Amino acid sequence: MHQKVTLTIDGANMTVAKGTSVLDAALYYAICIPHLCHLPTLSDIGACRLCIVEHVQNGRSKITASCTLLVQEGMVIRANSERVRTLRRNIAELLVTQAPNSRAIQDIAVRCGVTETRFPFRRDNCVLCGRCVRVCAEHYQARAIGFVGRGKNRRVSYPFAEKPESCVMCRACLNLCPMAVTPCDGPMEEGLEYLCGKCESMTQEPQYSVGDCIRCELGQSFDCTRHR
Amino acid sequence: MPKIASITDLAALRDRLLSVRSKDAVLITVCGGPGCQATECHNVSAEVRRELDTNGLGEKVRLRVTGCHGFCEQGPIMVIDPANVFYGQVKPADVGEILNRTVIQGEVIDRLLYTDPATKKKVVTEAEIPFYRAQNPTLLSQNRQVDPLSIEDYLAIGGYAGLARVLAGTEPEKVIAEIEASGLRGRGGGGFPTARKWAACRAAHGEEKYVICNADEGDPGAFMDRGILEGNPHAVIEGMLIGAYAIGAEHGYIYVRNEYPIAVVHAREAIRQAMEYGFLGGDILGSGMRFDIDIARGGGAFVCGESTALMASIEGKVGEPRPKDVHTVEHGLWNKPTTLNNVETWANVPSIINNGAAWFSGMGTDSSKGTKILALTGKVRNTGLVEVAFGTTLRTVVEEIGGGASDGKAIKAVQTGGPSGGCLPAYLFDLPVDFDILWEKGSMIGSGGLVVMDEKTCMVDVAKYFLNFLQDESCGKCVPCRIGVDRMLEIVTDITEGRGRPEQIPLLQELGETVAHTALCGLGKTAPNPALSTLRYFSEEYEAHIREASCPAGVCKSLIEYTIDSAHCDGCGACLTSCPQGAIQGEKDRLHTIDREACTKCGICPTVCARNAITVQ
Repeated sequence: MHQKVTLTIDGANMTVAKGTSVLDAALYYAICIPHLCHLPTLSDIGACRLCIVEHVQNGRSKITASCTLLVQEGMVIRANSERVRTLRRNIAELLVTQAPNSRAIQDIAVRCGVTETRFPFRRDNCVLCGRCVRVCAEHYQARAIGFVGRGKNRRVSYPFAEKPESCVMCRACLNLCPMAVTPCDGPMEEGLEYLCGKCESMTQEPQYSVGDCIRCELGQSFDCTRHR
Repeated sequence: MPKIASITDLAALRDRLLSVRSKDAVLITVCGGPGCQATECHNVSAEVRRELDTNGLGEKVRLRVTGCHGFCEQGPIMVIDPANVFYGQVKPADVGEILNRTVIQGEVIDRLLYTDPATKKKVVTEAEIPFYRAQNPTLLSQNRQVDPLSIEDYLAIGGYAGLARVLAGTEPEKVIAEIEASGLRGRGGGGFPTARKWAACRAAHGEEKYVICNADEGDPGAFMDRGILEGNPHAVIEGMLIGAYAIGAEHGYIYVRNEYPIAVVHAREAIRQAMEYGFLGGDILGSGMRFDIDIARGGGAFVCGESTALMASIEGKVGEPRPKDVHTVEHGLWNKPTTLNNVETWANVPSIINNGAAWFSGMGTDSSKGTKILALTGKVRNTGLVEVAFGTTLRTVVEEIGGGASDGKAIKAVQTGGPSGGCLPAYLFDLPVDFDILWEKGSMIGSGGLVVMDEKTCMVDVAKYFLNFLQDESCGKCVPCRIGVDRMLEIVTDITEGRGRPEQIPLLQELGETVAHTALCGLGKTAPNPALSTLRYFSEEYEAHIREASCPAGVCKSLIEYTIDSAHCDGCGACLTSCPQGAIQGEKDRLHTIDREACTKCGICPTVCARNAITVQ
C-alpha cells in the first residue's frame, strides 16, 4: 500500500502517492502545466523550466520547477497564477526565438500565450532538453550520447565525437526529439523566421483555457504527458 | 614527531613551543600572500634567509614567511618585531641594509616606510597605518602570525585548542548550539545560518556523512578564500574537524580550484602535518573520533562553486547543478548527508569555540555577526584584503581603509559580491556591510568581492562585462540562464554599440526578473543582478546611450569620438608618435588632427598628452 499525500493545486484538493512530482499530480488531475524536458518514464532534470509553479509556504511563494518538486502533505501550489503565466510565457518566448524551426516549440509558445517576439530569431537546432540523452542512458543503458561543453557551447554528442559501439542506431533519441518535426509550412528560411501561431485554432481560444487540460492537439507535438 | 595522544599532551606541547619562542630576539615577517607573490616577495625572503646564514644571525633572528596580510598595494611587505616596524615595497637589494640598520642597530630606514597619503607623514609601525586601523582582523591577524607550512606556528597561537575543548566532553548538540548562539552565517555568498545546516545534517538519516570545504573561489577580483587557505590552512582543517564532530562525519573534502596551486600545496602539507600530529586519522587526541580529509582539485569552472555542482564534480561527474528541492544536508555527496561550507566559514569556527559565541556575536549587526573579509579592488588607492566587522559602512571601507580613489577622480559606485552581486551608487555608501541590507538594495555581500568604480567607468559596460562572464560560465543546463543571460547580453551589447532602442530597457528588466525567478541554481538566479542593479541606480546612463547615443563615461567605443582641442594643443607630437594606427596628422608646433576613419579609439593618445588637449565626446 502506497502512502498517500494530499495537496492543493490551483485550489483543487488532490490525493496522490508519496514520491509523485507536483507536475505528474497536476497532469493526472487534468491541470495543464506546459512542459518540454519532462517525459513520463524518464528521470526529471528541470532543464526547460516551462513547468514552473508557485510553491506557497508560510505566506511566501517561491517559483520552482514542478517536475523536480515532490509532493508533500498540505502543500499549496499555484500552477497558473498571473505571475507564473508571465514567467512561463517569457521562457517560451526565449525558446521559440532560439529555435523557431520546431513544430513542438512553436506549439508550446502558443500554449504559453506568446503572441509577439521581442528578440531577434536564431536558428538553433537543439534546445538541450536532454530527452535523447536520458532515453539512451535510462531505457537502453547505452550512454551512447551525452552533453559536452558548457554554456553556449553545450551540445549533445557521442563520447569524443565518435560513435561508440553501444549505439545501435535504434533512433529512440530521434523519436523523442522535439526538434525533429518542423512547423507545418516546412523549415523557415534564414532571416525570415516567424512566430507561427497557426495552431491557436486547435486549442479553442487558449487564452481562456490556460489552466485546464483540454487535451489540445498542441500536446501531441511535444509529447505532452496527457497524450501518452 | 610522535602523535599527540591526548589533550594534556597538546597543552604540554604548546607550553614547550611558547617557552622556546619567547627567547627569539627579533622576528622578521615577510608576507607571502598572492599580492606579494606578484611583486616577487619570494626573492626578498630568499635574500633574508641568505643574509641570515652568512651573517650568522640565525640564532637571534627568525624569519617567517606568512600568508596574506591584506595590504597588497604595498607588497612585498616586511614587518620587523618586536618593534612592529612596517616596510613596504621591499626589494631584495634593501635586505642587507634592513638587517644592518634596523635589526642590528635598531634604526628605522626612512625611505622604506609607508607614507600616509592624507597627512603626507611617514608611518613607522604597522599598527599606525590607516589601512589597518579601521579593520577588525580576527582571521587575517592569524595569517600574520603563522607560517602556513608550520603546524607548530599554528599550535603556538592556540591552534587545535578549540578541537581539544570540543573533544574533552562537549556534546555535539552543544557545539551546534554554540555556533547557533554566535550567529555565524555562511561566508560563501548565501549567508545561510551555519548552525541550522549542521543541525539538519546531524538529524539526517544515514551512518555515513561528509563535510566539504568549498574553496572554488571563482569571482573575478576575489581572493579571500585563497588568502586564508594559503595563509592559514590549519584553521580550516580545525574548523572542519569541529564541524565533523558536531554532525558526526568521518570524512571530509577540500574542493580547491587547481588555479590556486599554492593553496593546493599548503592544504596538502597541512593535512600531512595534521595526520602526523594525530589531529587527523583514527582516535584523534585519544577521543576515539576518526576523521580524514582529501583534497579534490577543481578545473576552475565558476559553476562548480555551486554546492550541488561541486558535489557532482567530486563524484567525477560533469559539474552542473541539480534542483535543490532535496537538500544536500540530506542527500548530498554520494547521496549521503553532507555539510558544505565556505573556507572563511570553516576558519571562523575554531575562534568561536575558543573565544565563545558571545565574543563573536558581539561583533556585527543584528542579523550579521562577526567579521567579513572583503577583497578590495578597482579604482581605489589601497587594494587588498580587508577584514571588517559587519555593520562597518561601505564608506569606511572605500574611503578610510581603501584611501579613496586611486587617481583623484570621483568614486561613482561599488560593485559588491562578484558577478552575482550588484552595483551600489556612491550616495548609498552609508549602508553597512550586512547580508540582508545589501540584498534589499539589489546587491549582496556575496563572497566578499568589492570593486570600486570611478566616474570614468561606464555602468552599462560594467553590466556587459559581468553578463559576458556569466554567459560564458553558465553550465548551460537550464533555459533561463543559458538563453536568458545570453539575450540580456545581446540587449546590453546593442545599447553599448549604439543600436539600443527605448523599449529594450523594460525588456531587459523583465527578462532579468524572469531569469532571477526561474533559473535552476543560485548562480542563475543571481546572474541578472549586475544588469538589474545598474538599471535601478544608473538608468540615466542607459538612457543616455539610447536616446543621445553617447556614453557619459567615455568608455563605449561605438559612441565616442576623440578630438583635439585647438585651444590646448601645442603640436608637441607626442600623440602623433604614440598612435598605433597613424591616425593623427600634424606638423611640429602646429595643431594636430585625428582622422576619424582611421581612429580605432584605443585610448592611448589622451594618456600621453601632457596638456590634456585630447577630449572624449
